[in-house]
Amino acid sequence: MGSDFYQQSIMPYAGIIIKICRAYTNSQADFDDYYQEVCLQIWRSRDSFNAASKWSTWVYKVALNVCLTNLKQRKKGEQRFVSDALPDEVNDDVKAFSSEDINMLYNAIKHLSEIDRAVILLYLEEKSYGEIAEIIGANKNSIGVRITRIKGRLNKFIQAQELTHE
Amino acid sequence: MSKSIEQMWKQGFVSEGELSAPKVNDLYNRKSQNIVDKLQNMFAVNIKAIAIGALIMLVAMSLIGIPWLGLYICLLLAPLIQIAKRELDKSYNLSKGQSSLEYLESFDAWLKQSISNYSKYYQFFYPLFYIGMVAQGLASQSGGKVMSLLLTKYPTDYVFLDIPGYIWVIITAFLLVVIKYSEALYRFDLYIIYGRQFKKLEELLADMRALKA
Repeated sequence: MGSDFYQQSIMPYAGIIIKICRAYTNSQADFDDYYQEVCLQIWRSRDSFNAASKWSTWVYKVALNVCLTNLKQRKKGEQRFVSDALPDEVNDDVKAFSSEDINMLYNAIKHLSEIDRAVILLYLEEKSYGEIAEIIGANKNSIGVRITRIKGRLNKFIQAQELTHE
Repeated sequence: MSKSIEQMWKQGFVSEGELSAPKVNDLYNRKSQNIVDKLQNMFAVNIKAIAIGALIMLVAMSLIGIPWLGLYICLLLAPLIQIAKRELDKSYNLSKGQSSLEYLESFDAWLKQSISNYSKYYQFFYPLFYIGMVAQGLASQSGGKVMSLLLTKYPTDYVFLDIPGYIWVIITAFLLVVIKYSEALYRFDLYIIYGRQFKKLEELLADMRALKA
């Protein structure tokens, strides 16, 4: 990958790639792997980019696809059943952010299903419902309801976390 | 809860320094090592499987009263095990004190050379294996009965070792086919077992070369 491509086409979106990868990994090594894999996948698939949509949308799509695919493969390897059920425990030893709130929010996000994580990340990045629907390949009309439901679950989880910290 | 999740998100990433990206340079190093390790493990398992298979064959064939064929197959497989082990040892000795791409390229070159060496062996192995099976079949009691039956039903002046000439023609024709296609058969066999890994290796090499360019 040319450093020009990295600087011009990936670096401006490094922030969101980091945010997405962070939501799908529980260790620093995995996080590094996912981030690199996303960058390489963006570079590899640059010729398939359809100029009809925005480059940023393409980056989101690729990042989420890589994370979801890697997660699926890893789960398959561990012979775990992929479901919407909450994981028993999020074992997070990825380098923490300095903001307590963000760490708490990520902890809550990781208790969501894979697709719900993608939806809420895109929502928090202020993507429109149309863009979210395009990126995750869902019906635009269902996005609003889904976000409300996810936010409810996140709030509940964060409140529970705050109570245990008090 | 004093803040909404939207506020948490916005305020949490005020300092962009939080979002320092890892370097995109190590993934291919690990991928190269992973695929090499995987192939080496598969080769090692395969060698063990051939050795165990040969012994099982010997025991099983002894039990059903054809120990010579079992022994013959063992003797045919013994050089293969030796060649495979020697070839695998070569791969372990490839220099790792070079870039990932160079290491992977030298592994790929070793792989192609090994396949070429095995091909030469299999050009003898399959025909000899076929000859062994045919010899056992013809020498067996039921084989003898079948030949007598054929000679009664389709008599011929051309008989050698109590076997009608037309059977020799068929056996020879099949032998020629086996000789002609033994390498193709070996490669087909190889790609059934390792095809996916070989494809991954090729893709990885193509990626790394493109990255370098």
